[in-house]
Amino acid sequence: MLRVALPTGRMMKQAIPFLESAGYAPVESLIDTRKLTVRSQCGRVEYLLVKPVDTPLYIEQGVADVGVCGKDVLMEVGADLLEPLDLGISKCRMVVAGRPELERKLDNLLSPVRVASKFPRVAQHYFRKKGVPCTVFKLSGSVEIGAVLGLSHYIVDIVETGTTLRENGLVVHEEIADCSARLAVNRAAWYAKLAEVRDLLLNLKSAVEGAKS
Amino acid sequence: MGSDAKQLSFPPGTELVFGPQAERRQFISDRVAGVFRGWGFTEIVLPAFDSGDTFEGLSESGDENELYHLVDREGRRLTLRADFTLIAAKALAMDLRREPRQIRASYEGRVYRFAPSGHGHRVEQAQRGLEWVNASGAVYDAAVIMMARECLQSVGADDAIIVVGHAGFIHAVLGEAGRRERRLLEALDNKNPSRIRQLAQRIGLDAETGALLEALPLLTGGPEVFENARKFNLSDGAAQALSDLEALYSMLDDAGAAANLLVDLGEVRRSDYYSGFMFKVYHHAVGESLGGGGRYDRLFDRFEMDVPAVGFGFNLARLAEATSTNAYADGAPESVKASDGTDALKRIREIRTKGGSVNLVGETT
Repeated sequence: MLRVALPTGRMMKQAIPFLESAGYAPVESLIDTRKLTVRSQCGRVEYLLVKPVDTPLYIEQGVADVGVCGKDVLMEVGADLLEPLDLGISKCRMVVAGRPELERKLDNLLSPVRVASKFPRVAQHYFRKKGVPCTVFKLSGSVEIGAVLGLSHYIVDIVETGTTLRENGLVVHEEIADCSARLAVNRAAWYAKLAEVRDLLLNLKSAVEGAKS
Repeated sequence: MGSDAKQLSFPPGTELVFGPQAERRQFISDRVAGVFRGWGFTEIVLPAFDSGDTFEGLSESGDENELYHLVDREGRRLTLRADFTLIAAKALAMDLRREPRQIRASYEGRVYRFAPSGHGHRVEQAQRGLEWVNASGAVYDAAVIMMARECLQSVGADDAIIVVGHAGFIHAVLGEAGRRERRLLEALDNKNPSRIRQLAQRIGLDAETGALLEALPLLTGGPEVFENARKFNLSDGAAQALSDLEALYSMLDDAGAAANLLVDLGEVRRSDYYSGFMFKVYHHAVGESLGGGGRYDRLFDRFEMDVPAVGFGFNLARLAEATSTNAYADGAPESVKASDGTDALKRIREIRTKGGSVNLVGETT
């Protein structure tokens, strides 16, 4: 039986219809249950319900064979995983945002910039790659306020529509990556459970493609 | 235990093995060493540190920050051993300059590479492996895989999977230009078809190459993979590498050694290091690779020598995780009481002469 890590919350709600139409409907509602593990009706998978930010680690360590993870979380955690399918849900962009008057090319900055983010690793990596010295502050709450109140020059965050940014007078300066929910697979499981993983992948792929058309 | 007892700890990432785990580790190391000896390999002892250039270009991520450096009393910068093959190749090159010949060398020890905390990765990793130098031809490739399989069987991890790929295949498909595209290699390594397609288009690879690259993640499996790959229009180089890999597969199959053997044409990791076949070992109970190896005919170029070579190594901690617990149940040792004094020593000599094991126990136990 494959162990499938699912991130509790909104992404899981959006992923459930795909899992159902792919033939892996859970025996009970994943949203209402208080259990931590729930089997599928077909008996081929067991769902492990974990916190979104923890999913990559469960998969990387092989506790789960596969799982559904946001690309943003995958980038931040930096786990060594396979990523064979984009589910095309929970779409958003990872961006560098800030006040409009700061709009000048980041490449020309020589003095250290202050960056606030829920994704400190992504932020650090992005600015380092550009050769821009920066100090990163890890925030857990609303990140926008970091730039609004002047804690930081920039924020690195995910945006869907950009409404929150606009309402706070912030603009997107640079795009780092397109994010969405991915099917992530443990490297050992990809080989050691080849047939089961391949079935799940292809069934989910059809479900995702079916939903598009 | 007083609350003001001094805290005892080692830095994160270090490896400390006690009790039954240590016993299991010893068993595994002995068994693997036994297999290597059985194939005529001789143990070599290698330096724990060297000048940094030995490990240049080593890292999988291309990130040289993985290395540990230290400075000696004369101000020279030294690097802790981060890989065995590179340091063994240097040592063997010295030996080969003296007397060119085929060498079968095995080693055991630790390598040191930085690992970010929070992922459960270790900085210190114990390995046992081998180098077979001046070994040219498919028989040696097959022999190395047979040896790896024998090691797995000897420790009770028969159900481990050996996955073979070919560096020449991915080199030929990507071409010189494609091989420099770090992000494309990363997408291939992550088996992420949509990202591969996006990058192949952005780089301007032709549609056929793009289609093959996008299909690579699913070109994993049994011997049907060879047939599936031939549905694409392959360059001469790619077709040759594919035939070589297929010949290796058939050779192992004919020799009765193809059980739990998979093919993965999309393997790109460390493909710069390898020149021919490459393989990795996986087990369903362990999240990460237990070990691997392959052919690196160009490795000795850095010592201005033309020496074809194959080799592989196991990560002993991960191999231990894959080993079934009862695989090393030896005969129970005979207890001898320390309080019996000289009689105890005499009894121990009797037991040990016959090859039995003893447990000398004190008064308190």
